[in-house]
Amino acid sequence: MTAFLLRRSLAALVMLLVVGTIIFSLLIIVPGDPAELLLTTGGGTTTPEAVAALRETMGLDQPVLIQYLQFLGDTLRLNFGTSIIDGTEISQAIGLRLPRTLELIAAAAILALAIGIPSGTYAALRAGSAFDVITSGIMALLTSVPVFVVGTLFIYVFAQILKILPAGGYTALSDDPAAHFRALILPAVSVSLNLMAIVFRMTRASVLEMRSHDWVRTATAKGLRRKLVIRRHILRNAMGPVITVVGLQLGILLGSTVLVEFVYNWPGLSGLLVTAVEQRDYPTVRAIILTVAAIFIVINLAIDILYSVLDPRIRLK
Amino acid sequence: MNMSLPIPKRMVFPSILLILLIVTPFAAPLITGDDPTAMAIPQRFAAPSFEHWLGQDEFGRDRLARILYGGQVSLTVAFVATTIAAVVGTLFGLIGAYFRGPFEFFTTRLADVVVCFPPILLALLVVTLFGPGAVTLIAVLSVLYFPAFARIAFAEALRVSALDFVEASRALGTPSRRIVLRTVLPNIAGPLSIQYSLTAAAAITIESGLSFLGLGVVPPAPSWGQMIRGARAFMNQEPLGILIPCIALTLTIYIINFFCDRLRDALDPKGAQGAKDAISQPVTTSQKAPDLPSDAVASVRDLRLVTGPASQSVDLIADVSLTLRANECTALVGESGSGKSLTSLALMGLLPDVIRQENGQLLLRSKSDGVVDLGKTTAQGLEKLRGNDIAMIFQEPMTSLNPVHKIGFQMVEAILAHRPMPKDQARNEAIELLELVGINEAARRFDGYPHELSGGMRQRVMIAMALSCQPKLLIADEPTTALDVTIQAEVIELLQRLQREYADGLGLLFISHNLGIVSEIADRVVVMYSGKIVEEGPTDVVLNAPKHPYTRALMGSMPAAHTDLHSSRNDRLAAISGTPPLPMARPSGCAFRDRCPMAIAACAEHIPSLDNVSDVHSVRCIRADEVVTA
Amino acid sequence: MTGLNPQPLLQVKGLNKSFPTGKQGIFRRQMMQVLRDVELYVNHGEVLGLVGESGSGKSTIGKAVLRLLDIDSGSVTFDGHDIHTIDRETLRGLRKDMQIIFQDPYASLDPRKTIHAVLSEALDTHQLHTGNARQPRLLELMNMVGLDPSFLSRKPHEFSGGQRQRIGIARALAVEPKFIVADEAVSALDVSIQAQILNLLADLRAKTGISILFISHDLSVVRFISDRVMVLYLGRVMEVGPADEIHFAPKHPYTAALVSAEPSLGEQRERIHLTGEIASPLNPPSGCVFRTRCPFALDECAAIVPELRDMPDGRQKACIRDDIL
Repeated sequence: MTAFLLRRSLAALVMLLVVGTIIFSLLIIVPGDPAELLLTTGGGTTTPEAVAALRETMGLDQPVLIQYLQFLGDTLRLNFGTSIIDGTEISQAIGLRLPRTLELIAAAAILALAIGIPSGTYAALRAGSAFDVITSGIMALLTSVPVFVVGTLFIYVFAQILKILPAGGYTALSDDPAAHFRALILPAVSVSLNLMAIVFRMTRASVLEMRSHDWVRTATAKGLRRKLVIRRHILRNAMGPVITVVGLQLGILLGSTVLVEFVYNWPGLSGLLVTAVEQRDYPTVRAIILTVAAIFIVINLAIDILYSVLDPRIRLK
Repeated sequence: MNMSLPIPKRMVFPSILLILLIVTPFAAPLITGDDPTAMAIPQRFAAPSFEHWLGQDEFGRDRLARILYGGQVSLTVAFVATTIAAVVGTLFGLIGAYFRGPFEFFTTRLADVVVCFPPILLALLVVTLFGPGAVTLIAVLSVLYFPAFARIAFAEALRVSALDFVEASRALGTPSRRIVLRTVLPNIAGPLSIQYSLTAAAAITIESGLSFLGLGVVPPAPSWGQMIRGARAFMNQEPLGILIPCIALTLTIYIINFFCDRLRDALDPKGAQGAKDAISQPVTTSQKAPDLPSDAVASVRDLRLVTGPASQSVDLIADVSLTLRANECTALVGESGSGKSLTSLALMGLLPDVIRQENGQLLLRSKSDGVVDLGKTTAQGLEKLRGNDIAMIFQEPMTSLNPVHKIGFQMVEAILAHRPMPKDQARNEAIELLELVGINEAARRFDGYPHELSGGMRQRVMIAMALSCQPKLLIADEPTTALDVTIQAEVIELLQRLQREYADGLGLLFISHNLGIVSEIADRVVVMYSGKIVEEGPTDVVLNAPKHPYTRALMGSMPAAHTDLHSSRNDRLAAISGTPPLPMARPSGCAFRDRCPMAIAACAEHIPSLDNVSDVHSVRCIRADEVVTA
Repeated sequence: MTGLNPQPLLQVKGLNKSFPTGKQGIFRRQMMQVLRDVELYVNHGEVLGLVGESGSGKSTIGKAVLRLLDIDSGSVTFDGHDIHTIDRETLRGLRKDMQIIFQDPYASLDPRKTIHAVLSEALDTHQLHTGNARQPRLLELMNMVGLDPSFLSRKPHEFSGGQRQRIGIARALAVEPKFIVADEAVSALDVSIQAQILNLLADLRAKTGISILFISHDLSVVRFISDRVMVLYLGRVMEVGPADEIHFAPKHPYTAALVSAEPSLGEQRERIHLTGEIASPLNPPSGCVFRTRCPFALDECAAIVPELRDMPDGRQKACIRDDIL
């Protein structure tokens, strides 16, 4: 078990390094001068002085190896530098906004799991029933609706027509908890629907597959009550594949928040990101994407470990 | 070579939808004469009219034209990017699978890395550098998606290459290029095409998402994401402006997903039919009171099992009657499809739900309530019987134990299901049982997992578990078939010893296709062929003087029964020609007649009855009396 | 049954093969040696039976002699060519002379190809019976394995297991090989079908004089079909000799245990009970690999690896004790 933990943690570290290196090298492989490129994309014009200034701020005047080491060192110290647009400390901006995005993601993930897993299980145990057919149909539709479409339609229905929930915005939890959670509902539901559909489908497929294994028949042949057969010998085994898929889908979930935060004006990481992209604030964009990738890798490490607890065979592989 | 590809029925509708979806936007000039970028401010928000079927938007542009031309952009970006990703990725995957080594590492790890970047974020990163636009999008999406194709192509190519038919092609000396193109590629096309449609749908989602943020397709070129973005501000005044592109976008993705789902079902048909917990409830059609001879532990009377819809149901087994006695081992012998396993599953009340019991009575002597008629027992009642009064071990020891639970947990669970007791006591009993079945270091194994044991050891655990509540009847369904011959002998000896020493009064129903094992373990033999019992009697009588032509042929086929024969001396085994018929294609009359060397015209007329040829020996053959035992 | 040619058709010397295991340390993959110093030969027109339990390495030998996998060391000489050192073109030409029949009749045929295409692939590769000669040859092959010629246009899923196995045999025979590896070719079949296939192989051998390496875990089947039998345990040869003698008068304790464990219809032989558990191929015992289960093991058995010795009656065994059995 220790060897397994060690190996997995090591792999995660290597992955972090690779991801960082790829993000770093994007600037290197860009044809031409990245500083000039950043200042002129979108048809703008610039002056040699502005380019030179930007080169210096971004450290582009240094040799590549120095830049790389500098980048790694800074990243390790969570020092992402300053925005090239307004000079604010990037780490600070991320630190302020990341918790809000994480709250949104957590709320959405809990919602998706709380509905997706039980309904997927129930549908699989009654495969072919009306419940299965109807739920599967709804979930198929949910996988097909892009988050920003859901978000926009929700605003129209719940904020504009029914006027029961705010169309967006954010209130700090400390200021007004009720308002905080009211504002959270629509964004969280919007983000969760896609994931919910995926969790549902995966749970349904996994439970169906587990039902066909020999050990389920053994458990029934022992005279175990059906409830226990389902809980111990079907569900327990089915959860491994489900959490793995959830882990992989978290990337998509993180992507969804970009759009949802935009739709609802939720002041998370994504608002920062979209503004930074619009203004070609490369250091900020790079820092945010590094943060998100790191979160993704850490979450998947946690899921790997959880899976190995659920299924002892995994440790051998 | 015949290359016709018949399209499965369930694929026709989704295919038509998909083709319509792809063709319609490109037929835009035929559908509407309007220019999607021509503004007419005075007519902003005009309602649908004969000239503008879907009305006009906030700049008075024709919505229908914008939807259609916007669709062109979305579909082009999505399908071009997906196609590039698919071709490049498949190539990478095949190269990785063929050359292995560093290529393999590269191919598999690449996908691990790319999956760390949420696609839309990576797209944003690139847009920051290169600015928005359709070409940027295509480039990003292709890079983003090709590793997934590479990984699937790699894994599938490896899987297919390990199959015997690819090995056969290599053994024939077929050139590698030809093997990859003619054999490997067609066999991995299924998973790749599923990935293709999944990716196309995802690409459309991302393209529209970026355009919605204003970072995708550059205005004034129309796109669905932009239309939604534009109409958001006027949601209250003009909900149609939002609804139309939302519906177009969702419908497009839905149709692709729908096609993909059907494709997956068609290529990889799986369903609930294999569910091992979906059980068909036993019935009883006998008016007779449930009684058993005093020495019997169970009996099957006139059992008939069918499958298929009621209007055209097919008999799987019919007229099967058996009496199982205490301290006796009855062997049920037959080839695959003879119905021997179904008979035993019926006794356990474990028939799969696709099989129905149409006729017959299943009786069991319970430890507490005397004789029980399974057909009159509720599902809960059956749970109390299984494992307690009747237990079963199965053919596959490798899969019969749950891999995620410790062995001890699974044993204690079996004990506590019927005999409430403190956990410590159950643990001690379980360890004693493990010792009884010959497992070394039982206390250590108790805390181990099934995958740490060999097949023979797992089968011993299964036996220990089955005996944990001292059942009256133990059913062993081919318990040694998956084991090596030396291990098989040990397990057989264990079963014999347990029946002799440990479980007094235990009846054993032993199911096997191997007459050699049967002759060692069984007191009585019941031979089944094509769903019917064809011969039954004491083991030494049946095996020494078989009366049914099938039993005789079966023995003639066994090299183990003819150690005097050798192929190099031009000896041949007395094989039966043909194969056992499928249940829906059994010949009239005697099911064995078209393979039987003794068949006469009368055999086709009616199904022979199972008649006594002596007090203890019965045979289902009209010519049984004529068979002269050699 | 030695033919006129004094040289054996197939000669294997000092064959070693290991595979990486699924298990790995933090940095290195563990290797598992599945074959150790295997020596064997097959004469022209001879059937050599290869017997062993799971993990004995018998299938690996079958693949190694056809170079369907690479070996660590040793040599495989087929018809005068060292199979593992010759260039690819020569090897391709030689493949016409050596073929294989697989165990699983379901996995051994491409589900997408008709029987016609399956058999033609073999002939196309070696440019045999081209043009007008093709159809008669296909019909002849179908006839030879006892299948209806109208089946040629069908695909594998339309056939039963026994019929598929006949197609597999026809594919192997299509190129008129001198030698066939039959890897558990009858193990997946029902008894009555198994007998049909065994008879078919015996007939083919009698008619064409083909040599066969017959791999199986079933001793009775191997005894019936083989001229000589070789017994393997954990990747090592235990005993070799004429089929009937190995079966009725085994000299190696493992062979004896194997034979005595075989369920038979006649009078039961006295069982030789094995002790202990099967050793793991990852960590084989020192000295004789069988000693941990051998009822006759002595202290010396742990010290030296017994060599495969010639016995006076023409067989060979790898056991230091002559005072038993």
